[in-house]
Amino acid sequence: MLASVFHLSGSIEVWIGALLTLMVFSYLWRDNPLYKIAEHLFVGVSAAYWMVVGFWTTFWPNAVLKLAPAASRLTSPDAPPPAADPVMWIPVGLGLLLLMRLVPRLSWLGRWPTAFIVGTTAGYTLVRTLRSDFLYQIQATVGPGLLVLQDGRVDPGATASRLVLVIGTVCGLVYFIYTRRDTGGQGRLARVGLLFMMVTFGATFGYAVMGRVSLLIGRLNALLGDWLGVI
Amino acid sequence: MTRRLRRAFGRLAALDRRWIYVILALSVGTAMIVGVRLPDRPSILVQPIYDHIENLPAGSPVLLACDYSPSSAPELQPMAVAVTRHALLTGHPVVYVSLWPEGNALIERVVVEAIRSDFPDAVPGRDWALLGYKSGREMLINTLVRDFRAFYTQDVRGVAVDSLPAMAGVRGLADFGLVVGLASGVPGLREWILFGGDVTGVPVAGGVTGTGAPRFFAYYPQQLLGLMAGMKGAAEYEAALALGHPEFRQPTMRGSDNMGPLAVAHLVIILFIVLGNVGLFFGRRREGEGR
Repeated sequence: MLASVFHLSGSIEVWIGALLTLMVFSYLWRDNPLYKIAEHLFVGVSAAYWMVVGFWTTFWPNAVLKLAPAASRLTSPDAPPPAADPVMWIPVGLGLLLLMRLVPRLSWLGRWPTAFIVGTTAGYTLVRTLRSDFLYQIQATVGPGLLVLQDGRVDPGATASRLVLVIGTVCGLVYFIYTRRDTGGQGRLARVGLLFMMVTFGATFGYAVMGRVSLLIGRLNALLGDWLGVI
Repeated sequence: MTRRLRRAFGRLAALDRRWIYVILALSVGTAMIVGVRLPDRPSILVQPIYDHIENLPAGSPVLLACDYSPSSAPELQPMAVAVTRHALLTGHPVVYVSLWPEGNALIERVVVEAIRSDFPDAVPGRDWALLGYKSGREMLINTLVRDFRAFYTQDVRGVAVDSLPAMAGVRGLADFGLVVGLASGVPGLREWILFGGDVTGVPVAGGVTGTGAPRFFAYYPQQLLGLMAGMKGAAEYEAALALGHPEFRQPTMRGSDNMGPLAVAHLVIILFIVLGNVGLFFGRRREGEGR
C-alpha cells in the first residue's frame, strides 16, 4: 500500500539530506540533541569546505604557484609551470603578520595588515558608495519632473510615481529632523513620512515572509519530491 | 457575540506557536502534493530583463554571477535556470562566475538542469563557460572591469580562457551584453552595481531573495535594468519565457510550480494574523471587563 504512494529514494545523499532536514526542523518543537548534532555538523562541514576551497582557489594559485612555480608539477604535471611573481611575497608577508595575532607577545604586528586592509577597503568603497548610493540616488529621485514618452506625450503613471517618490523621500527626511519640535507644518510632513515608512516596513515584512516560506518550500520539495517521491 | 465565542477568540492570542508551524507545513505540503498552480505574468521589474536578452545582438555573451549558497537556492536557482535557458535559446553564450565559495557546485546544478537536459547539443566553452569562484569581492570586480584575464586565466576544467569561443570578444566587463547578478548577501548584486555597472555602463540585472529585495528597488531603473525578487521573480521570468517562446518546452519551472504552495502559505499566515488580532482585541476587552 505504502509502496504505491511513496517512491523512496535509493540515494544515500538524499537520505542524509532528508534526515538532517528533519533534525533541524525538530528545533521548532524545542532544542534537542538531534538538532545540536545537525547544527555542529553544519558548522564543521562549512568550515572545512571553505578552507579547502580557499586553499585550492586562492592560496595555491596566488601564493604557492607564483612563489614556487615548480609546485605546479604536483597538480598539473603536463602543463608548463606558471611564471614566478616575487611581488606576491608582499601579500604573503602581510598574511603572516596577520597570523601574529595568535601570539600574544607579537600580536601588535597584526595591526599593520589590518590597517592596510581597512584603509584600502574604506578608501576604495567610499568613492563608489558616495557616487552610487548617494549622488545617483538623489539624481534618480529628483530627476526630470515630467516623464515624457518617445512620442512627446507625458506619461501620467510614471509622473505620478515620481511625484509619490519625491513626496515620500522629503517627508521621510523631515521625520528625522530632531533639532526642532514636530509642530505645525513640519509635524504634518513628518506624519506623512511616518506613513510612508510604515508602508515600506509592511512591504519589507511581506517580502521577508515570502523569502522564509520559499525556503520551507525548498526543503519540502527535497523531502516530498527527492526523498519520498510523492510529488 | 456570545461570551463563549469571545473567550474562544481571546484564547487565540495565547495559541502555542508550534500549532502554527504544523498547520503551515501541512497546508504547504498538501498544496504541493495536490499540485496547486497559479497563472503568472511578468511584472515591470522582470520584463526589461527578458526584453534586453531578447534584443541583444547575436552572440553577445551574458555574465551570470551566482553569488549565493545552498540555503538560498530554492529562490535563486530557478532564476539562474530560466536566464540560462533564455540566453541559450536566443544564441547568447553564458559565462558563469561566483564571488562565493559555494558558487561552483550550484552552477554545476544549473548546468545539469538547464543545459544538459534542454540543450544537449550545447558545447562547453562555446555556448557556456564556467569560470567559477574567485576570492576578492569588490576588488575582483574592479579588476574584471579592466581585464577579465587578470584573474581568470582558465575555466574550472583547466582550459585556457583564451581558447574559449564564449570569451573571444571579452577583454573587460563592458564587453558583456548583460551582467545578471543573482545574490543572497554580500558580496553580491550591490557590488556588481557599484563596482561594475556604474563604472562601465554595462547593463546590470538582478535576482535576489525575498528578504533582500526591498533594498534593491532604489536602484531601479537607473542603475538596475530589472529585478527578480524572490521566488515570485523567478516565476515571472519563467512566465515571460513561456509567453515569448511557446515553442520551447520547459520541462521544469520550479518558480512557477511553487507559486501555488506559496500563495497557500500566505493565505494561512494572513488568516493567523487576522485571528491573532481578533484574539488580542477580545483579550483586551476581557481584561477591561475584569477590572
